[in-house]
Amino acid sequence: MQKDQRLLDLAALLLKAAEPVSWREIQEQFPEDYGGKGEAAIRKFERDKADLLELGIPVRYAAGDEDLPAGYLIERDEFYLPDLRLPPEDLALLYLAGSAALASGTFPYSRDLAHALNKLSFAARAPGASEAAALATRQLSAPEEGDGVDVGARVEELSRAVAHKKRVHVVYLGAERRQTTERDVDPYGLFQRGGAWFLAGFCHLRQAIRTFHLKRIVSLAMNPSAPRTPDFATRKDFSLADFATREIWEYDVHGAVRCRIRLEPPVPAEVIASFGPRARLAEDGGATLVEVDATNEEGLLRHVLALGDRAELLQPKALREKARTVLAGLERGLA
Amino acid sequence: MSAAKGRKASPAAPASRAPARRAAPRSAAPKPAQAPAPKAAARKAAAAAPRPDPRDRLRRVLFLVPYAVRHPGIPVKELARRCACTERELLADLDFLLEVGSPPFAPDDFLDLYVEGDRVYVALHQSFSRPPRFTESEAAALAAAAQGLGGEGRERAVKALRESVPRDRRASFDELVGRIYAGAPPARDSVLGRLQRAIAERRAVRLAYHSASRDAETERVVRPYTLAQRFGHWYLYGHDSERGKALAFRLDRIRECAVTDERFDPPSEAELVLARLFSEAQGEPAQIKLGPLAAAWALARPGVRLVKRTEKGGAVVELAGASDEYATRYALSLGGDAEVIAPASARRHFVDAVRRTLARYG
Repeated sequence: MQKDQRLLDLAALLLKAAEPVSWREIQEQFPEDYGGKGEAAIRKFERDKADLLELGIPVRYAAGDEDLPAGYLIERDEFYLPDLRLPPEDLALLYLAGSAALASGTFPYSRDLAHALNKLSFAARAPGASEAAALATRQLSAPEEGDGVDVGARVEELSRAVAHKKRVHVVYLGAERRQTTERDVDPYGLFQRGGAWFLAGFCHLRQAIRTFHLKRIVSLAMNPSAPRTPDFATRKDFSLADFATREIWEYDVHGAVRCRIRLEPPVPAEVIASFGPRARLAEDGGATLVEVDATNEEGLLRHVLALGDRAELLQPKALREKARTVLAGLERGLA
Repeated sequence: MSAAKGRKASPAAPASRAPARRAAPRSAAPKPAQAPAPKAAARKAAAAAPRPDPRDRLRRVLFLVPYAVRHPGIPVKELARRCACTERELLADLDFLLEVGSPPFAPDDFLDLYVEGDRVYVALHQSFSRPPRFTESEAAALAAAAQGLGGEGRERAVKALRESVPRDRRASFDELVGRIYAGAPPARDSVLGRLQRAIAERRAVRLAYHSASRDAETERVVRPYTLAQRFGHWYLYGHDSERGKALAFRLDRIRECAVTDERFDPPSEAELVLARLFSEAQGEPAQIKLGPLAAAWALARPGVRLVKRTEKGGAVVELAGASDEYATRYALSLGGDAEVIAPASARRHFVDAVRRTLARYG
């Protein structure tokens, strides 16, 4: 019997049964598949059980008691997708966020996400308006033709590696060196920043946690051996959110330097927010003074320059001077 | 134990139920000579990873059956779209389902299913009346997406997702959620929560919105249609009553949001299909000339199109639909290694910005 058919038949048998189904009975129902004697048949059944669980179908073994025989069962409460019992605005959140992520074509576990969105209509009593809005989201969030397709495949591959903790071999194009390097990476997680996806993981070449821009991964190979056995354990002190929310000027380049920036009014919320949650803010006659600790001054310089004449670097003096030099250089080129 | 009870729901089933596994009802299943061309968008994900895994089919049919039960007579085309597969694949799935029965394979245990014209009917099936629980990766992907958008209900939604995963897999769910970070929420949770409620209830909102073109805060009354994401930013897409048309509002520029009592009818699906987050890119796209360092960095980012390579690894790139202001910001963020060269208005904006900013450092 084909595997997909066997799995579905097995699920149907166990779901329908009024009481646990003994191993012998299962063997009788699937003589070609589990009929053999000994370990091989049991191992095959165990693999099928694991596959069913990966599909969201938990098969349990119940030790018998006075009333019930020992055997396998699928409890209906544990099988069927329950109602999420969420208010309409929370359903809207799930639908809209999920649809936008799916449409981008570059979200981790995108196939799972598509299944999840489908199931969502069963997990809520009246999805109505939210589901309709999600259709529009999908339409609006879809990238232009030819945009992000290859990254989509990378994300999907790395999703599997992250989930199963499998080491990957990466050929990577350095940002500025314009040459490739090869390395093994233990993939810890994937994060999105400014519309681009990054891999965070332990790099065996640098012996440290590093991030990799997915668009610059030239090729990728996941360790093919023992797909269900993890290759590594994630470091205990690692937090993906911390890594992902580091501002550019917080990259680890030099010792911390206190920097001050002056923002002229009106200051839009997005500009203040762009300095991140760790920035210290003060008022100064309508203007806003921002103070950050930078470990990558160059990154801060670029960020402030992008804000144009609404922002001015005050301290440290050397960085202020550098801003002036960059702008003067640009100005000379304009003539 | 028989599935007979469920059969009552079968609409005029001509099903000839045969006990033999191969002779299942296949009565009125006309097959198109060729599968129609798949929709490009829907196919993208599948094309990216064409790994035939028997579990993929199972996941599809475990959704397909309850969905078809709930929507009797659903067109093949629509069901295929819901399942993100081609019509040909869908018909193959239906054939597959005809052979499914639960042991001991009595006639009553077969799924009662047929295609009539181009419509699918599945009689109420006892075992697969609802889809199975979320797998940990399904729930984790959805949870990670929700956390990247945010809103007051974020915690509730993630908790509900977690509880919809089989008990044995919740630890894996927890771990997986920590392995995907889809970005920080674009606005305060309270603002997002109210927008999400207004979208779900189809009620207009009053926004305090920072308009970039006027560099000032404006009040807008908007019928919120949906939220969408492009180039790393989240937008509210909705009908602006004063301007009389649908517009996109960046979420991180919404300072405040109030839900009003005004209800609205949603736009039709046909109207939404024509919807764009941005009006067609006006005029020429902005052109930026990049030095070698900036070129390598910029070309790895979304939304950038290479026009030509210049000497020593530099490049000229295009930003479609960029405002003059955006083009200037973009060039300045490259630390002196880039300049806006076209169109003329964007070039003037850039030149002006460089001179004014330099004056601050005088």
